[in-house]
Amino acid sequence: MKKNLYKGLLILSIVGLSNTAKAQCDSIASLCAKHIIAQFISDGQSYRSLLLNSEEMAEFHTTFFGETTYRLAACSGKTDGNLIFNIYDQDRHLLFTNKNYANAPYWDFKVKNTLECTIEAQLDANKNAGSGCAVILIGFKQK
Amino acid sequence: MNIKNFKLNTKIIAFGLASVLLHSCGDPKPAEGETGDDLADTDTVKAVALNVGGELFSVPSPMQTALLIQKSGVAYDKAILNAGNKNGQYASDYSKSLNLGIYGADLGYVSMYNQTQDALQYLGAVKQLADKLGVSAAFDQNTMKRINDNISNKDSMLMLVGVAYRASDAYLKTNKRTEISSLILTGGWIESMHFSITAYNKKSTDEIKYRIAEQKQALGSIVKLIRSHNLPDAAELVTQLEELAKIYDGITTKYNFVEPTTDEAKKTTYINSTTEISISKEQIDQIAAKITAIRDKIINAKS
Repeated sequence: MKKNLYKGLLILSIVGLSNTAKAQCDSIASLCAKHIIAQFISDGQSYRSLLLNSEEMAEFHTTFFGETTYRLAACSGKTDGNLIFNIYDQDRHLLFTNKNYANAPYWDFKVKNTLECTIEAQLDANKNAGSGCAVILIGFKQK
Repeated sequence: MNIKNFKLNTKIIAFGLASVLLHSCGDPKPAEGETGDDLADTDTVKAVALNVGGELFSVPSPMQTALLIQKSGVAYDKAILNAGNKNGQYASDYSKSLNLGIYGADLGYVSMYNQTQDALQYLGAVKQLADKLGVSAAFDQNTMKRINDNISNKDSMLMLVGVAYRASDAYLKTNKRTEISSLILTGGWIESMHFSITAYNKKSTDEIKYRIAEQKQALGSIVKLIRSHNLPDAAELVTQLEELAKIYDGITTKYNFVEPTTDEAKKTTYINSTTEISISKEQIDQIAAKITAIRDKIINAKS
């Protein structure tokens, strides 16, 4: 009887936490969307990942097409500046990190020639004690 | 882990999690300076998080290709689009999802050329498929009204369609229907490739040629995405995409790193690297044939 109670409580708790985390990601994504202003067209995707600590990294590969300006918005939590994001080229040259600019929540990239790159995001250890949802949004406009 | 330990852990975890939840329910306001999004740092939370997280994939927006084609001076051609009145024939979620991606790209294309009447038709097709797939939250009354109100304003239309598709992507990911989201992205990408190929046949510019050639990474992401869901309906699609990837393996690129420059005041970084890409006429023809075969199968589906 007790065993079933614990199991039930565990399942309910996991479902509850999962829903809490989802709601958290949704509200962060809404806040983050404000940085993709009207002159940029969204790429139609919402990149999100739950990060357990500041050591953990979310990563994805993307193509930046030439003659295009991209805006990247990177958010975690209810305020700006909690998420560090880095962009590397295909040879792992660091092209940009917002860490050098007070964890700016958004940045524009004017791309001359098409290139394949990797975008990484992690929580700033100085601002995040535990885990959090990382959200990255991308918008573009013709140069 | 033995059974005793498991029992003990179950109790601790259950009470621990219940406490975390009760705590989060009773105290919604984070202290000043806190991010407010912290979750309890336990192994169980880790399991939940890993389940939600995992590898992320990026697929280029089909509207970006439509924009390039329109700027290249290729004339509007409605005949290249999937007919807007076919949405009723797509019965399975698999077919609906792929064609929702295709119709979304078509909506972007007609909007790019300011074709108001056609935009209304494709908007209707998108709305109907989205409703059938249960993603109408992304195309709710308010969004539809905003799109309708701006249907003759190209820039607003493109912005709103992008936002609606992002909302649909977010909704599907939140509700663990990532296979639908992946298929929508795949449909959109295939349609954008179809735009490029038909445009290149009409006007063979280097910009369009290179755009066709520059899709290797996007295709790699799509193959991984679709394969990861193990969808029985998608077995043939995966095979076709893998065959397409083999053609792309033959395209050569030479990347030259150039140090980026940053204008901090404008919050802008200039990516100055260059890429030389080499694609033959034969390779373009092979890609075109494969894309046409994949697309025909999707848009002519009757299930």
